[in-house]
Amino acid sequence: MKKRILLVEDEKPLCLLYEEELSREGYEVTAVTDAEAALAKLGQAEFDLIITDIRMPGKNGIDLITQIMGLRKDIPIIINSAYQSYKEDFMTWAADAYVVKSSSLDELKARIRQLLGE
Amino acid sequence: MIEKFSFLAPDMDGSEPRELALLSIISQSFFQPFSLQDNLLVIMTALTSGSGVGFNRAMLFLKEGDRLRGEMWLGPRSAEEAGMIWEVLSTPGIGYVEIIEHNRALVNKSEDTLSARLKGLVYAADDEGALVPAAAAVRKEILHVRGAANDPLVDRRFLNLIGVEEFVCIPLVARDEVVGEIVLDNAITRTPILPADIKLAGICGLMAGNYIYSANLHRKLLDVEKMAAMGEMAMFVTHQLRNPIVAIGGFTDQLLQPNVPEEKRARNLAIIRDEIRRLEDIIFQMGHFLKVSMKEPVYFEPGPAIAAVLENPGVLARSGGYAMNVRLDPCPPEVLCDPTSFGEVLRNLLDNAFDATEAGGTISVRTYRKSPTAFVLSVRDSGRGMSNPDKGQLFKPFFTTKEKGMGLGLPFIKRVMDTCGGKIEVRSRAGAGSLFKLIFVSRERESKP
Repeated sequence: MKKRILLVEDEKPLCLLYEEELSREGYEVTAVTDAEAALAKLGQAEFDLIITDIRMPGKNGIDLITQIMGLRKDIPIIINSAYQSYKEDFMTWAADAYVVKSSSLDELKARIRQLLGE
Repeated sequence: MIEKFSFLAPDMDGSEPRELALLSIISQSFFQPFSLQDNLLVIMTALTSGSGVGFNRAMLFLKEGDRLRGEMWLGPRSAEEAGMIWEVLSTPGIGYVEIIEHNRALVNKSEDTLSARLKGLVYAADDEGALVPAAAAVRKEILHVRGAANDPLVDRRFLNLIGVEEFVCIPLVARDEVVGEIVLDNAITRTPILPADIKLAGICGLMAGNYIYSANLHRKLLDVEKMAAMGEMAMFVTHQLRNPIVAIGGFTDQLLQPNVPEEKRARNLAIIRDEIRRLEDIIFQMGHFLKVSMKEPVYFEPGPAIAAVLENPGVLARSGGYAMNVRLDPCPPEVLCDPTSFGEVLRNLLDNAFDATEAGGTISVRTYRKSPTAFVLSVRDSGRGMSNPDKGQLFKPFFTTKEKGMGLGLPFIKRVMDTCGGKIEVRSRAGAGSLFKLIFVSRERESKP
């Protein structure tokens, strides 16, 4: 059975790129563009992994992680941000991995495989 | 009965003690959005105009680091010029504003000769053995010099420049720190300098010192704020640039894979093109915002600048979808602002109004006099408005409620308004539109013959 990934990314072109690339790797990707939509999806379906951006309109990625931790501690979370500097922020340590956005998705894919035990 | 008085007292009628007249002139200048240079000119004017202390000439030195440097010279160069100047200044009804305007022209006129020579005078500000005039600043003492030519403690270069036997040196001190010095003389009338004149000049010196001190502090504060904003900007730009770059790189990689269907190829190229345009836009906006130095504000007639913005093809194209309600003062006063920035400010306000309002909404542009010295330019929209937390962050660089905004429009407007001494009022409610009111310092137009 395909592993399911919830992708939270407000940049529509990036959403599309990740969706296509991760689907090609054999994952089932559900993409949403804000934190509220992500929480709604979590209530509706099971996911094996969550990838989230930090800076988004409305609720940011860190608030989203805090909220998810209160609901489900078992789903691994990857932060995927354009900001290198947030990596040093302890607020991001709650996530299982931190990947700085890059046009090569190799590191992101490697982290996904690692966290899914593949 | 309650009677109201304005801080800005009308020009003195001559019946007041001259000390009060003098302090009034200087205090009033601190209400004006003058530059440091102009405020210093006011103090020099107060010291040399008939309604003030009435010295003939004033020379200003400012402290820069550990040096005391000649900065500005105010006063006639000859008895003939003095006669002409004093005739102008004694015209009935002439106020301090006119005197300052006149003196600004005078300072600029002597720029090439006396001020240039004065600027050539530089003294060490901490040399205990300094000669006069620097000695007054070093020792923080008012010095009254008579018989200067025979006094070895007077610097010869300075003496050659001013060419008088008697003068008084007033150090400008604030919080025990020397910020400059003013030298005063009666080179034209040759009248002796009296102790009462020196006392009064000393008080002016204290005011000038405190003014320069607070202006220096303000400048330092702006530098600190600028540094903090730069840090925040660097971070924001990283994010703004990285997202399109990641998209461009990612979709290009897809194109390089074998057997890409034509439809996908066209789609990816369109995305890449859009993202490159976005990068261009980001760079354009950053460049615009980074124009660090604002131009000095001047008084100008705002009508043509407003018309130019409203008739701009980009604005016309956008305004088509809205009910535009434009009501402009047909004969506006002159406003104080850099004319180019004024136009850009209006353009920014209109762009924000278009962005916040669905097609079919109403956008109103109004100009009117709020008072004889305040002119309002307002833009109201019937758009989505703002919540309270958003309002608190409005003028912070990089704060935006727009999907594609950079958050640099309102900080730019604030910078322009700060530079020209204007004010911004914002009224907005979530769902009920926004009103941005810019209040400019204004003055009535001079009637042209």
